[in-house]
Amino acid sequence: MSVAVAKAKSDLSGPYEREDLLNGCQAVAQGVRLADVDVIAAYPIRPYTEVMDALSKLIADGQFDAEYIIADSEHSQFEIVKHASSVNARAFGGSSGTGWMYGMEALVVTATDRLPPLFVVGNRALDDPGAFGVEHNDAMAIRDMGWLLCWVTTPQEALEHVLIGYRIAEDKRVRMPMGLAMDGAFLTHSQHMVKVPSVAAAKKFLPQYDLAERRLHPDNPISVAPQVNEDWVMELRRQNWEAAKRARGVIKEAYKEFNDVFGNRYSAPYYFDEFMTDDAEVVLIGIGTVAAPARTAVRRMREKGQKVGYVNLRWFRPFPTVELRESLSRFKAVGVVDRDFAHGSPDDCGILMHEVRSCLYPAKNRPAIVNFMGGLGGRDLSIADTQKMFEITQQAVKKDSMDGFITWIGLRE
Amino acid sequence: MIKRVEVNYRGIFQKNLGKKIGSDIVMIASRMGQRAFSNGRYSDSPERNGIPCKYFAFVSPDLPEEELEAECGAKLEIDEADVSVVLDDTMCKGVEPWGWHGIRPINERVVKDGCLLVVSKKKPEELLKFIGKKPYNYRIAILDGDASLAGLWVNKDDMTHERILGGIAAVDPAIISIEAVESYLMDKTKQKHRAEAARAAYESLRAEAKPPRVKTVTPNDGIDWPHKIPVLPKWFEMQEGAVVPAVKRGFEMGPRGQNRNPGFKRGTTKTQRPAVRFDLCTKCTLCWAECPDECFDPTTDGFYDIEYQYCVGCGKCAEVCPVKECIVMVDELQFEDDHSPWEHWKKDSKEYIAWVEGKKGKERVSYPVVTGKGRTVTQGEVMPEGKIVPVRKTEEVEV
Repeated sequence: MSVAVAKAKSDLSGPYEREDLLNGCQAVAQGVRLADVDVIAAYPIRPYTEVMDALSKLIADGQFDAEYIIADSEHSQFEIVKHASSVNARAFGGSSGTGWMYGMEALVVTATDRLPPLFVVGNRALDDPGAFGVEHNDAMAIRDMGWLLCWVTTPQEALEHVLIGYRIAEDKRVRMPMGLAMDGAFLTHSQHMVKVPSVAAAKKFLPQYDLAERRLHPDNPISVAPQVNEDWVMELRRQNWEAAKRARGVIKEAYKEFNDVFGNRYSAPYYFDEFMTDDAEVVLIGIGTVAAPARTAVRRMREKGQKVGYVNLRWFRPFPTVELRESLSRFKAVGVVDRDFAHGSPDDCGILMHEVRSCLYPAKNRPAIVNFMGGLGGRDLSIADTQKMFEITQQAVKKDSMDGFITWIGLRE
Repeated sequence: MIKRVEVNYRGIFQKNLGKKIGSDIVMIASRMGQRAFSNGRYSDSPERNGIPCKYFAFVSPDLPEEELEAECGAKLEIDEADVSVVLDDTMCKGVEPWGWHGIRPINERVVKDGCLLVVSKKKPEELLKFIGKKPYNYRIAILDGDASLAGLWVNKDDMTHERILGGIAAVDPAIISIEAVESYLMDKTKQKHRAEAARAAYESLRAEAKPPRVKTVTPNDGIDWPHKIPVLPKWFEMQEGAVVPAVKRGFEMGPRGQNRNPGFKRGTTKTQRPAVRFDLCTKCTLCWAECPDECFDPTTDGFYDIEYQYCVGCGKCAEVCPVKECIVMVDELQFEDDHSPWEHWKKDSKEYIAWVEGKKGKERVSYPVVTGKGRTVTQGEVMPEGKIVPVRKTEEVEV
């Protein structure tokens, strides 16, 4: 391995076999290897490109064996993945930004066909103008289509969530496609020391993919997605809803099983992580790599006696409605950090804000809530930025009006 | 009060005819001071050749347009029809729309004392051999003529459209009156013969017309409907992932020997079916090889039986058959069931040949693919039994 420097560590034993220097993309590739994926379809677009690079290298180096198909576009790429999944091959794809959007038709039908491949989305701003930096609107585009969608914050989580993702997606109670999103550049291209699980441990955790009665095979004659019209679509949507509801339970199961094999890596409620929230009065909630500066700001503000905390939302679909409502209604004020936009939507909030605010509406104790638009197009979100967000949120506790409801962070003005 | 008209038409070949009738009912009813609107069963829109489809028109003398729309619009299918027009009488055998609704009776939507208005050369009694019983009285009216089957998506201007308007005026003048039909056609086209065609159709369906072409159908008339109407499954009963059972692998020699999809047969698409003279067959395999719907079952003695439930009547087999009079397309209403022709022939070959020649009759009707030309009729001939028959000359083979 040229980029990822293999480093033998004496304290590594059990489920992890070694520690490598890997960026987010390479970590995903290792996850794909350990998941023993059968079919990979690829088409380049930055920042996802490095995932396909890493995978092709693993195959070329003889470390991994899979069908590796270069498609002529994302649309074909996603179709190949979908079809491979339908014949019971564990399949993998991925993209970024406008490439992801270009394959949208295939992405939508993969969900309706209830197939469970895993796609990585290296979040990227939607061109125009040409921009490589992170923005979450690309992955968010599938949020209402019947997908599983989660964000990771480190290469370690990225690797592990390839395994966890397949485990949840392929569960017969779920069988939904899995979107594994990660911040472009900040995570995809950020190298960290990553503990790499052993093949045996990965195998122990992740069962074989078995589409069973829905496997497309001459011995199991079925038609998938014929023209059905008005008399069938609504029932199919209802099935999709049921699967999304069941997924909430399966996600918990999967993390518990993962902890059993790999040690207590993740803690309940799994869908999100809380940091220093026990006695907090004011919290921020965000998605992705903003967690690092936000948690650092929390630590520093705590030293000054301020009761602040941070909630890192990992699972966006299914949305952890009950758990998050219960959690956030403990606080006096919540600041929602959006690395996405929804211009012209109610109160012109970001997408995450809409989801959180909607989630809190039935809560008995609704906290004050404000919205931050920040880090768009790969703009920094620094410790100072997150500190500023905490301060604005603290002020919101006393406010009756909607003044300062939305603040753009890091904007030149 | 609402009056509902349903127009049953053959997909593509009568698409424009069906829509034109719906449009003109709205125009004429509006000129009479009524509210009206028209729509089609939207799912039929990507229709295939010959698939039974529906167009609708709704008329009310007293409801505001929005209420009429609320009662009759934004629906997949209407619940009832005061007049059900049938533009091709072979649809009397039942219609199988999209989406696994099963084969439905042609008179399913006709209300008590309503009317089934059929374009046909047959008598009501002949059609009732195929039409399901209703628990109440209704009428069947025959508008004398051949089905107007145009080419792809075009309208064949053979006055069927004008005659249907006259026919509707005769069987339910509350929808459109013959005077309004005539004045509309004159104003619109300035062509007297169109108004006259409507009037002639109207006169032919009046009670005093000779021969009488309107018959009251009682609950004793018609047949017990042979097809099961499927019950659509609940959401938790369906396979997940938009999966439906497909054709199971399986093949045996002989009638019904190969597995086919029991859920979707499409047989009501056909207006004609291939009739076979097995004694003339040279076992060339072309019908079996060329059939787009795999309706031919090879038999142990080298012939090819036909499963008519899956035949859409495309005529490809008759087109490629190199032997004159071996495979001939015959009016679908000549046949009351879908029994195996090969078994019939094996049981009694002389009786079968007499039977099949009786069905074939003298006329050979074909539909050239040239758009808008409709049917051509030629004279057929009866071949002697079992003789070696000269192969069709090239110029006789349709391209």
